[in-house]
Amino acid sequence: MSPESTTPLPEIVRAPLAERTSELSLELPMLPDTASRVMGLCTAEDCDVRELAELIERDPSLAGHVLRISNSAAFAPNEAIVSLQQAVTRLGFSVLSEIAVGVALRGQVFRVPGFDKTIRLMWMHSAAAGAFAKDIARTARRNVEGAFLCGLLHDVGKPIVLTNVLDVCKQARVRPNKPIVETALEEFHTTVGAMLVERWGLAPWVVAAAEHHHRPEEAGAHEVEANVTNLADALSHWALSTRDVGDPRTLPSVAALDLYDDDMVRIMAGREAVLELAAAFA
Amino acid sequence: MSHQRFEFVVIGGGPAGQKAAIQGAKAGHSVLLVDKMGHHGGECVHRGTIPSKTLRETALWISGYKQHAHLEEKVSCDRTVDNLMRRLDSVRTAHERFLEDQIERNGVERWHGRARFTGGHQVTVEAPGGPERTVEGDHFLIATGSRPRTPNNVPIDHEHILDSDSILSMIYLPTSIVVLGAGVIACEFASIFASLGVRVTMIDKSERPLGFMDEELVERFLAHFASLGGTFLQRRVIDRVEWNGTAVEARLEGGEVIRSEKMLCALGRVACVRDLNLDLLGVEVNERGVIPVDEFCRTSVPHVYAAGDSIGPPALAASSMEQGRRAARHALGLPDPKGSGVLPVGIYTIPEMASVGITEVQAMERSGEVLVGRADFAELARGQIVGDTEGMLKLVADPSGRELLGAHIVGVGATELIHVAQMAMVGGCDLESFVDNIFNFPTMAEAYRVAALQIVQAAPRELRRVS
Ligand SMILES: Cc1cc2nc3c(=O)[nH]c(=O)nc-3n(C[C@H](O)[C@H](O)[C@H](O)COP(=O)(O)OP(=O)(O)OC[C@H]3O[C@@H](n4cnc5c(N)ncnc54)[C@H](O)[C@@H]3O)c2cc1C
Repeated sequence: MSPESTTPLPEIVRAPLAERTSELSLELPMLPDTASRVMGLCTAEDCDVRELAELIERDPSLAGHVLRISNSAAFAPNEAIVSLQQAVTRLGFSVLSEIAVGVALRGQVFRVPGFDKTIRLMWMHSAAAGAFAKDIARTARRNVEGAFLCGLLHDVGKPIVLTNVLDVCKQARVRPNKPIVETALEEFHTTVGAMLVERWGLAPWVVAAAEHHHRPEEAGAHEVEANVTNLADALSHWALSTRDVGDPRTLPSVAALDLYDDDMVRIMAGREAVLELAAAFA
Repeated sequence: MSHQRFEFVVIGGGPAGQKAAIQGAKAGHSVLLVDKMGHHGGECVHRGTIPSKTLRETALWISGYKQHAHLEEKVSCDRTVDNLMRRLDSVRTAHERFLEDQIERNGVERWHGRARFTGGHQVTVEAPGGPERTVEGDHFLIATGSRPRTPNNVPIDHEHILDSDSILSMIYLPTSIVVLGAGVIACEFASIFASLGVRVTMIDKSERPLGFMDEELVERFLAHFASLGGTFLQRRVIDRVEWNGTAVEARLEGGEVIRSEKMLCALGRVACVRDLNLDLLGVEVNERGVIPVDEFCRTSVPHVYAAGDSIGPPALAASSMEQGRRAARHALGLPDPKGSGVLPVGIYTIPEMASVGITEVQAMERSGEVLVGRADFAELARGQIVGDTEGMLKLVADPSGRELLGAHIVGVGATELIHVAQMAMVGGCDLESFVDNIFNFPTMAEAYRVAALQIVQAAPRELRRVS
């Protein structure tokens, strides 16, 4: 799906923003501590579920979020999940760690004072894209575990670009109106997102998904992950009605992933569960 | 409305379809090849032979089995499957480019879409994303291959419980894996993962894996598998499988529970024929779900042919290609190809195995008497040099010791070495010709001389040619 920005950015905003987003001068947030520790646990050879539960328990707000999300329809619990231990055994390591990473990122990266509603929507979009990415990957027989993070982080550059465009506008005494903000987001979010996740040391396919989800054909060795993310991005917009993407079934990434109508109908039938998950994350 | 018409319409672009299409086009016929995958080469290139063999090659390198079996130390490896498979992209791209070139050069038209019959001489092709086109043909070839069987009690989620389509999408090598099944795919992956340091448990209802192979070969394979820490649980029936949140649990009849980080379900394959609408034409599908064909690969409907995995065993890439070619030639009125029908089998386990002709047991059943010669690779200079002291070549001959009935090999180079025996059988060479002729030294092929000499010496004196 191609970005929808049309208005060119005034040079007075564009030039300093381009300058800031060039690798050397952009200030990037650290990977939240909890997220980095959870990811560390995931890649350890003998991941220990109890250790993960303890890590989450230490952060009460994180623990609360994890429980709320664990109880959402996306994870279809047969019975209400009331304790973290129960969440651990019911949902397992990978799901729980995805939730924990997501919640940690939400609190620290997806936060721009005064733009709560925009950020909330951005975050819901990311969470929904993560959930769709898993289902797409499962259907296309691609890696399911890695797909969630690709979807969740594909727009991680946006809050950073937003913070920076507001700052640049302030300095240039330009009113940060909707077209300026949207154009800046579209123009810079992929580069900034890729820089960010690369600096966080995440896997190359997560970097490629952040950088190339609008142009998967440019993702080289990670074209598949970029296509999965491209489609997840579009489905998320479709499910949340945040952007008109037309009929998602006709997108080029559908053909690139060799998905057919019945596959897409099945994936799109998961809309309600995905929406509930996104709401729980928000 | 009139539709585009081709003399030959091929459904499926794997080894069978690809070769058939090229054969038809080379003979000057108009050919359409339809495949539901955008990439060339079929399952063979994307999920089957090529990816698994690329991983195997890397596993061999890492485990040091191939060149350094004599070295104790293992090479440390990055445990991401992605890294292990890095070569796959270049291997696959090169192979795909070659296939694409062949298709274009020979003027085969290729459509990306899923085909189904909508008339006796008509196929409708649904492109991904919806649009449909209908095409007419004089002759059709069904070469739609096969997909993994998914038993009801094994809930494959492609995340924790995988099949051969999704197994290579794993990002990290698990610490442990249970492999359900004991056929070719199960044994190949089980031995590859074991040699990469994964704790592997293979579970099957049979007494031993690869029931159709010579027992001695399988014993050596199992011994090597055990030396890598692999376990084979024989005569076990799966009750149910579940992901309990932290591990995959295989619950066996009798109460045993085997836990692992991941599971590979390799309990056979089913032909991809369900969506083709074959009933409309009256093309027969048998009780095993495959399409019965005659010697020219013709189905019960004379202008419809089938080849490759869709017609059942042997379900190998090479046999699929040959069937595709044969079907095309017959459909288009070209002379039938001359083939001996002597078909080698190659199994890319670690160590690899290969066979041609019949086994010792089959030979005994046939005539009640048999002569067998063996060569242990440990006795060969080359075997010692490459560090393969577990391999073996076994020749099976008729009671006179003249006619070669079968050859069975386990160990380094088995899948290449087997062709010597195959060509000897095709050319009608007797056992003595292995003794009379000179092979390079030091080579693994020397094993043929060693094994043949045993047979020749054991053969009744009056029948011997060499003394
Ligand atoms: C893991 C694994 C390892 C293997 N290793 C070996 C090996 O080492 N050596 C060996 O000889 N064999 C091996 N095989 C077997 C070998 O891959 C198959 O025998 C071979 O690919 C069969 O060729 P085919 O042309 O019949 O079908 P496939 O290669 O399966 O191709 C069928 C094609 O048909 C297409 N198709 C299906 N339905 C439709 C439709 N309705 N419309 C349009 N297109 C359709 C599919 O997209 C696919 O491209 C292996 C298989 C697996 C799974």
